[in-house]
Amino acid sequence: MTGPILALRNLTKSFPQGGAFDRLLGRGSRFVALDDVSLDIQRGDVVGIVGESGSGKSTLASLAVGLAKPTSGEVLLDGEPLSRLMRNHAGPWRRRIQMVFQDSSSALNPRKTIGRCLTETLALRGVERGAREAEAIALLELVGLGPEMAPRLPHELSGGQRQRVGLARALAMKPDILIADEPVSSLDVSLQAQVINLLSRLTRELGLTLLFISHDLALVRTLCTRIIVMRKGQIVEQGPCLDVLEHPSHPYTRLLISAVPKGIAGRRTPASPDMPAREPARSANAG
Amino acid sequence: MSAPLLSVEGLRVGFRAADGGMVEAVRGVDFAIAPGEAVGIVGESGSGKSLSMLAVMRLLGPPARATGGRVLFDGEDLLAADEARMRALRGRDIAMVFQDPQSSLNPALTIGRQITDVVRAHRQVSRSEARRIAAEALERVGIPAAATRLGAYPHEFSGGMRQRALIAMAVACRPRLLIADEPTTALDVTVQAQIVDLIAELRRDLGIAVIFISHNLQLVSEIVDRVVVMYGGKVVEDGPVADIELRARHPYTRLLRSCVPSLSGPVGPLVAIEGAPPRLGRMPPGCPFSPRCPQAVETCAAEMPALLREGRRSLACWRPQ
Repeated sequence: MTGPILALRNLTKSFPQGGAFDRLLGRGSRFVALDDVSLDIQRGDVVGIVGESGSGKSTLASLAVGLAKPTSGEVLLDGEPLSRLMRNHAGPWRRRIQMVFQDSSSALNPRKTIGRCLTETLALRGVERGAREAEAIALLELVGLGPEMAPRLPHELSGGQRQRVGLARALAMKPDILIADEPVSSLDVSLQAQVINLLSRLTRELGLTLLFISHDLALVRTLCTRIIVMRKGQIVEQGPCLDVLEHPSHPYTRLLISAVPKGIAGRRTPASPDMPAREPARSANAG
Repeated sequence: MSAPLLSVEGLRVGFRAADGGMVEAVRGVDFAIAPGEAVGIVGESGSGKSLSMLAVMRLLGPPARATGGRVLFDGEDLLAADEARMRALRGRDIAMVFQDPQSSLNPALTIGRQITDVVRAHRQVSRSEARRIAAEALERVGIPAAATRLGAYPHEFSGGMRQRALIAMAVACRPRLLIADEPTTALDVTVQAQIVDLIAELRRDLGIAVIFISHNLQLVSEIVDRVVVMYGGKVVEDGPVADIELRARHPYTRLLRSCVPSLSGPVGPLVAIEGAPPRLGRMPPGCPFSPRCPQAVETCAAEMPALLREGRRSLACWRPQ
């Protein structure tokens, strides 16, 4: 197979907005979260999708994994329309595309141990009962956690550890495509680095296709080979990651780049008499 | 240095544990801030930075409480002040902005009402005068058509605008100290940059001293004069921002700086700080960072190094770099 592993064709998603009363009277308008987006993802691509809240990047992710249905357009998995595949609700397609969520505490069942969370996922993949426990331990090891994690409950883990469990659960399905929606944005900087390094290593070793959704351009630069910049439901710029970040052509990409914290190099007032200050001001639009 | 505006000396905060004992989360914190100075407090979750500031504001509730030390604001020990005195100080002399603007605002009251309430609690002014002050404060934090936005409810504002409204509320009475606790964590990057710029601008225009708490050293370094680095409930390094960012001596400070990737330079694996911060009640007897420190020697795990001052810098480390 040489075509794209995942393709989006004129994908649009809109939601009704306004109050229930307006909708009842047919006066409601629709909020367009994703606006006619087309995109080809090749096998093994590591793609960063960046943009602010409301840019449509999470909507794109939920449509791609089949968590939501598009208003119009089509998602193609190896050339096959997801809308057709989804008729078989628990079909093999579901195994192939997995997701890691932003909030690791709400993504895990608080009353199930880590071990159980993984063995149940393995059961869904059809792993035999006797082999599940050993494979769960191997998965924990794969994401850098010890077997002592298995009997624990999610609240007994740190945020970074929970995010690793979320990753292990996704990998338990042996996916071809992994979609990670802001997987590190609620973590401390030191733990962010750990999880990003882990994602980078696993993507390489397992030959995964990765869609990494983030608002942190510096993290995307570290992890991804390709970048897609989204704004208000549309792709405004895309290309090889380093090219786009070094020579951004869209003003919105430039705005995102200027917003990355740069330490004392980003100061407008000198840090000390021998340090120069940064000149250009950032956009001051409220909100 | 002139007399400090705020001087925290040997501050300790503990939690009442289930077995009746005390577990210490802040274990003797010392730092001072001069009038009009901007100081960043950085460290990972659990380093004690937010708890220290809640102790300063006397906002700790059971099971947490300040168990030792002094918090001198303009020479007055806040830990010994009564609640009426604290209510007078909070919002008028010391104001605080929190991480989540959503839960810091009352959803059932207009933005204008919430700001005028603060103004009228501290100043003998008429309702209309309070509204004028509130509109002026909103204007100052960059909310367009401020006078008409006073009637808006929090849900009508975006996350960035809510944080601006909270900052307006905080500075409406012209406090001498503004404590911002991770004020941009819940916001988009572009909005984060605007809020950081706004805090810098308010500080410059109004002469307010600022304490900016964050886990991101590069973020605070854009606007503060000095950085205090905390780990395991203690200050491990403190100094002028350029020294901390370019010539840090504590291995933790260095790692904290290098684990944040930048938009320039070679692309490769990130520098990570392996392991996790120590858990409450399981602090090592020596330097709290020693179990994760690549430089650690035997002494580090056995004995806590004292915070030693040298010129404008302080450092607590047996193996400085």
